[in-house]
Amino acid sequence: MTRMISTIRSNRQRAAARARVALGVAVAVLGALPVAALAATESEALARAVVSETVDEVLAVLRDKAIPAEDRIRSIETIVYGRFDLQVMSRLVLARNWKRFSEQQQAEYVAEFKRYLTNSYGSRIERYDQQTVEITGAREEPRGDVVVQTKIIGGEFEGALVDYRLRSQNGEWRVIDVVIEGISMVSNYRDQFKSIVSSGGPDLLIEKLREKNAAGMALE
Amino acid sequence: MGCWGELAARIGSAAAALSCALVAGAIAAPLAAADGEDPWEPMNRGIFRFNEGVDRTVVEPIAGVVDVVLPDPVERAIRRFFENSMFPVRFLNNLLQTKPVSAVEELARFTINTTIGVAGLFDPATHLGIEDTREDFGQTLGVWGVPPGPYLVLPLLGPSSPRDTVGLIADSAARVYTYFVPFYVSTSIGAGDLLNRRSLAIDDIAAERAAALDYYVAVRNAYRSYRENQVRDRGEGEEGDSEDREDQVDREDLYDSGETGDDSGAELELDSEGDSDDEDDLYYPE
Repeated sequence: MTRMISTIRSNRQRAAARARVALGVAVAVLGALPVAALAATESEALARAVVSETVDEVLAVLRDKAIPAEDRIRSIETIVYGRFDLQVMSRLVLARNWKRFSEQQQAEYVAEFKRYLTNSYGSRIERYDQQTVEITGAREEPRGDVVVQTKIIGGEFEGALVDYRLRSQNGEWRVIDVVIEGISMVSNYRDQFKSIVSSGGPDLLIEKLREKNAAGMALE
Repeated sequence: MGCWGELAARIGSAAAALSCALVAGAIAAPLAAADGEDPWEPMNRGIFRFNEGVDRTVVEPIAGVVDVVLPDPVERAIRRFFENSMFPVRFLNNLLQTKPVSAVEELARFTINTTIGVAGLFDPATHLGIEDTREDFGQTLGVWGVPPGPYLVLPLLGPSSPRDTVGLIADSAARVYTYFVPFYVSTSIGAGDLLNRRSLAIDDIAAERAAALDYYVAVRNAYRSYRENQVRDRGEGEEGDSEDREDQVDREDLYDSGETGDDSGAELELDSEGDSDDEDDLYYPE
């Protein structure tokens, strides 16, 4: 029976489906735990609010077909980059290699990486207007980051699980990674950039990003 | 990935005996290799290039035609039909992973979708709150503690690992129609499914190819992360609370960024190994 219960409880992925069934059991089980474990921490609540606001704003812009496509992409950029910590993200992608970059190279790289992200995702944004996003949970990690878990409802990517990892700096919670079905953006770019930096150094990476960005611009 | 798996299983059933021998040999040697390493990279890149060539010259053009001819809702209905026909695979693997609740849910899904959902073309079960479980034998082996082994790109079938290759072959044995139709029919069915899926993903793959700085590495990272996540069942694995915590510790390390020197020595301790495992320092490199 315990196994059954934990199987039921365990299935966060289909939590919605089972919530009703599990509720009675869960209340009984959780009743034994300290109350503190149940309540969302302040960090979790704050991080959750950031994701929820961002999602709402982006979806509102996506659905407003009165605005020309180009302008919609620009305003989404503004919303998203306001809530993403590009500096931390860029640094995490490079990991140890960050120190191999001079200050000027770091600045160039961050700027090119930002344009690269814009080009990679901007053109695809149009396809997400059919969907809504449900926030399914938030979890504080041991060292203070918070992972906000979401699920896409409707549209082409129905059921996809997307996690946002947020970190607080000077009291402000910002996104430092997006993990889609277990695939982390930071990890994926890190793997790709690592071999480039080790073969050609910082300049080669900046150069390659610049090339991609130029090609991306040409496509627009 | 999924689409390749479909075809894989079909071909797998034809070549099961041969593959088993090959895989047994392939598994023995590299299981010692750490996850995340790619000891077969030169060979993998060669096969990847070949697969990409086949995709660009044959599969993608045909899928492009399919995409134009069939409206997306129809394509999605076809995909659902194939997914519904995969019920025995998910059902058995849920049982093998001792997830009786999920197995019963799969049974309910199959019953509802095959009848009310018109042979699986529609998915009323999801609307009733019973979602599918996406289990396969590769994951079952993972749950049983078998490591994936090194990254492995299979000819035509795409990204895999020794463990998932064995899974693919085992799953093909669980398909109903493997036993009732001649192999060329099941192969055509598989090809139809593959083309349909490829067609649904046509824009995503094109965008990904165009955007990646190293498409091979991007796909490798995505495949391994995705499979690892599936085995861990992101939350489904709560049964091992301990497992969950282990994972959290991993992720912790992933996000540490002590490289600017403004972080305390605590993070440095975590990664004294230098260039060890990516997973360990994604968020807290150094």
